[in-house]
Amino acid sequence: MRGGIFWVLCGLALLIIIAPAVAVVVSVLVKAAPALRWSLLTNTTQDVQNPGLQNAILGTLAFAIGVLVIAGPVGILGGVYLAEFAPRRLGGTLRFFSEVLAGVPSIVVGFVIYVALVIGLKWGYSIMSGVVALSLIILPYIIKTTEVSFTQVPRSLREAAAALGLSKITTIRKVLLPPALPGIVSGLVIAIAISTGETAPLLFTANFSNFNPTPQLFQNPVGYLTYVTYYYIGLPSPHDQALASAAAGITILMILVLIFGGRLITARSRRMVARLDV
Amino acid sequence: MNVRRHAAIGSAVLTGAFLVAACGSTSTPTTSSPASTATGTPTAAAVQTGNPTSAVTLTEDGSSLLYPYLQKLQSGITAAYPNITLSAAAGGSGKGQTDAISGAVTMGGSDAYLSPGQVTANPGLLNVPIAVSAQAVNYNLAGISNLKLSGDVIAQMYEGTITTWNDSKIAALNPGVTLPATPIVPVRRVDSSGDTFIFTSFLSATNTTWANGPAFGTTVNWPSVSSELTANGNPAMVDTCHSTPGCIAYVGVSVESTALVDGLGEVELENASGAFVQPNETTINAAVTAGATNVPASLAQSLIYESGAQAYPIVNFEYLIIKSTQSSTDTALAIRTFLEWAISTTGGATSDNLSAVNFVPLPTNVLPKVNAAIAMITG
Amino acid sequence: MILVRRRAGGMTTGPARVERAARGDLTIGDRVLQWVSGIAATVPLAGLGLILSIMIVWAIPAIIYSGTTFFTSDKFFIGNLYSTVLTTHNGISAPHGAVYGALTFIIGTFFTSVIALILAVPISVGGVLMLSEWIPRRLEGPLSTFLELLAGIPSVVFGFWGLTVLGPLLSQHFYPVLSHLGAIIPFFKGPWAYNGQGMLTASLVLTLMIIPIIASTTRELVKRVPVLAREGALALGMSRYEMVRVVTIPYVRTGIIASALLGWGRALGETIAVLLIIGVAFNPPANIYGTTSTLASVIANQLDEALSDFTGMAVRAIAELGLLLLIISLLTNLAGRLIVRRISGEALPVGRGI
Repeated sequence: MRGGIFWVLCGLALLIIIAPAVAVVVSVLVKAAPALRWSLLTNTTQDVQNPGLQNAILGTLAFAIGVLVIAGPVGILGGVYLAEFAPRRLGGTLRFFSEVLAGVPSIVVGFVIYVALVIGLKWGYSIMSGVVALSLIILPYIIKTTEVSFTQVPRSLREAAAALGLSKITTIRKVLLPPALPGIVSGLVIAIAISTGETAPLLFTANFSNFNPTPQLFQNPVGYLTYVTYYYIGLPSPHDQALASAAAGITILMILVLIFGGRLITARSRRMVARLDV
Repeated sequence: MNVRRHAAIGSAVLTGAFLVAACGSTSTPTTSSPASTATGTPTAAAVQTGNPTSAVTLTEDGSSLLYPYLQKLQSGITAAYPNITLSAAAGGSGKGQTDAISGAVTMGGSDAYLSPGQVTANPGLLNVPIAVSAQAVNYNLAGISNLKLSGDVIAQMYEGTITTWNDSKIAALNPGVTLPATPIVPVRRVDSSGDTFIFTSFLSATNTTWANGPAFGTTVNWPSVSSELTANGNPAMVDTCHSTPGCIAYVGVSVESTALVDGLGEVELENASGAFVQPNETTINAAVTAGATNVPASLAQSLIYESGAQAYPIVNFEYLIIKSTQSSTDTALAIRTFLEWAISTTGGATSDNLSAVNFVPLPTNVLPKVNAAIAMITG
Repeated sequence: MILVRRRAGGMTTGPARVERAARGDLTIGDRVLQWVSGIAATVPLAGLGLILSIMIVWAIPAIIYSGTTFFTSDKFFIGNLYSTVLTTHNGISAPHGAVYGALTFIIGTFFTSVIALILAVPISVGGVLMLSEWIPRRLEGPLSTFLELLAGIPSVVFGFWGLTVLGPLLSQHFYPVLSHLGAIIPFFKGPWAYNGQGMLTASLVLTLMIIPIIASTTRELVKRVPVLAREGALALGMSRYEMVRVVTIPYVRTGIIASALLGWGRALGETIAVLLIIGVAFNPPANIYGTTSTLASVIANQLDEALSDFTGMAVRAIAELGLLLLIISLLTNLAGRLIVRRISGEALPVGRGI
């Protein structure tokens, strides 16, 4: 009897975990649907007649590329070190601090980069300032997924490489990387999904711009999708509300694509690793 | 792709980024500011303007009161000078001031001139007025139109000493009107706002407790009133008041039409001469004519509570805060051109553009000083 | 043949690593990679150091100026910027009348995060137990997709949803019911905003946002409960409920505390969703539905205003708020991670729960 009630409650709990995820995504998409038009892709937010999201979308993409270029290599290398080179205690300590970094509130990271880079190094509101802030936030995820991908490669492969007398770097490059790669890539994809959804760290590092991003990496504010939702939802006119909804819808679509893409790669990687094991 | 290549690319990019960072910080060249303009008062023709040789985008943000007017000017300036584009945004006068100071935007829109502290901290900044605007006080009481109020009474509402609409002090100003017992809900701006600046200037001019307490500014120490609501920006003030019966809110005239369409009432404010007026072209002009006789060279002039039978009490210059030294001659030229075009009645300050937002043009006796300020913008 | 190391149950091992070769067996390429990747691995530590030092240095003038009023005053006012008189405390000058009290935000942060925790922990644990005991392994993958989805929804989208969908829904249908509780506890009586903006709505959305980290950490810990103990209990004739109660829960109890701490850390740092929903007021809430602000939301909201302070003190005051937020986030995170580390040295979900 008591067990029955307990499991009913647990089932309810599971429902509460599942249902809102669907509810949020569905209702945001439903709200965004009427506002979605092709002109969103061709016009910028400053277009008076027909404001669009071109500058915001391009800005978000620019940030995604930026963090890939900056945080990607650093995170992957860091993960490689933790998996392959680090002595037990040092590795544990470094891993620990990486996890602690992930717990720093993103607004604090944004504030620090504002003080250090935007003002301190005079980078101004710019893509670079925003990219550094985002990179600090997503770095722990990339390090962790890279390390896990490497350590999940079967022991037999490593032993075979050692038996062949391969150097560590060759082992990593030719033996461990191929099976670990899908996991690493899915980690990168998830990290980009997170950076696509961030707003707080970019508020005071990228500010906002109604124009498309330019190659000028410093002293040049950049627009991004999440800001449009954040700012325009506070403006009462229906046009602005529609723009905010559209931006929210496109943001969630991008993230859905990234998350499911990441999952597909993880699933493929599991099958690959299982196949490697003879 | 292998890890070693990752590492190589990664370190190359990082090194490159740091090198770029070192060179990336551009600093505006500091030239000595031009000598004082005591020599003669330039006319518009004396200020160097023209279409810049390369495309220049003038970025602006700040006052939500000024924003609708700038939106009207956007297409006109590019039609007149194809290489000049104006990008405007809102965000509150305080943001306009800070962004202009930090260089995040070329021009900061502000209903308030720079504070003394800001002027001391940033000597190269100019207050350039481009129009005259006003502020209305709206309320949400069904069936009551043209309520008469004085600044003194309104200050007491925002102090929390007058709490219901049928208070005797309100009734005394409105004989013959049946006032409901609805509680008063004051609405105020939560962002650093020029509207707050001019509203609190008005309250300070009419109520000594307010003048000695919160005084005036873009942010003030609002007395704690339990029913008080906050709003972010002028449109939100209208919106909040619209959904709250019994509210009273201060709204810039550029969005006043929305307030009236929404069914909000517009207060007849008591002016310094004892008359009760609403903001319109006549009353605003009366105020600015009275107030603009002795404008200082810094153009920091309050037009609040001017005397005159027809003067509307909450009137202000709309300023663009601009650095006198710009990063390039083209930018400086574009700014001067835009400003001269904007204040000219044949350029931006047409009666169509102005009346759409309930502004009036700058009075002619102020123009020489404005031209002098514009002439100081060099690159 | 050696099987792929199973994640569920079984002994935990360190990373599969070949016997470390003698020093001389590392080639030059190896050394270079070791050093370069080693430097990369210390970037998070360097980043943490940078963050802490900048926050401390930047906050010092405000700390000196405010002293203990920072913790005792619920008023946060950057001063009248148009007054020519400055207010001075302890040798530091700020605009006239400036008071930088954090009590409002401490209260707001405390209430929202604690309410979210009280709701999220039972939901996460219950859901995870359901997932591990009743749901067939085949469905586990697709179902945990939902968890990942919840973790991946951006803060601003949660804020948008809370403001446009959940808030009005709660305000019209749920809060009127809840306010009947106000007969016993006045704090629940209301009134509330027509669009639901306020502390309770923000707490509910926050609950959804911290479920992923609590649930995924708990799930990893539940997987580590020894199979033998679980199967032994079932063999003795216990029902699944009894097995969970007798074997699983005691085993993961410490871990649940740890994951709750991690979830709390995340709740403390949530900025944008809270900012959009909590209503931006600078006083403690009048009741559970009231508008207020949290440490994180006020930083995001006020930094713009703070920049207009020509003395620069307002930005320092924001830094002091940020420092407080950073310290309590770090403490909860450290506590959570340390406990988790004692239980298992394996890589566990990080940050928001992915």
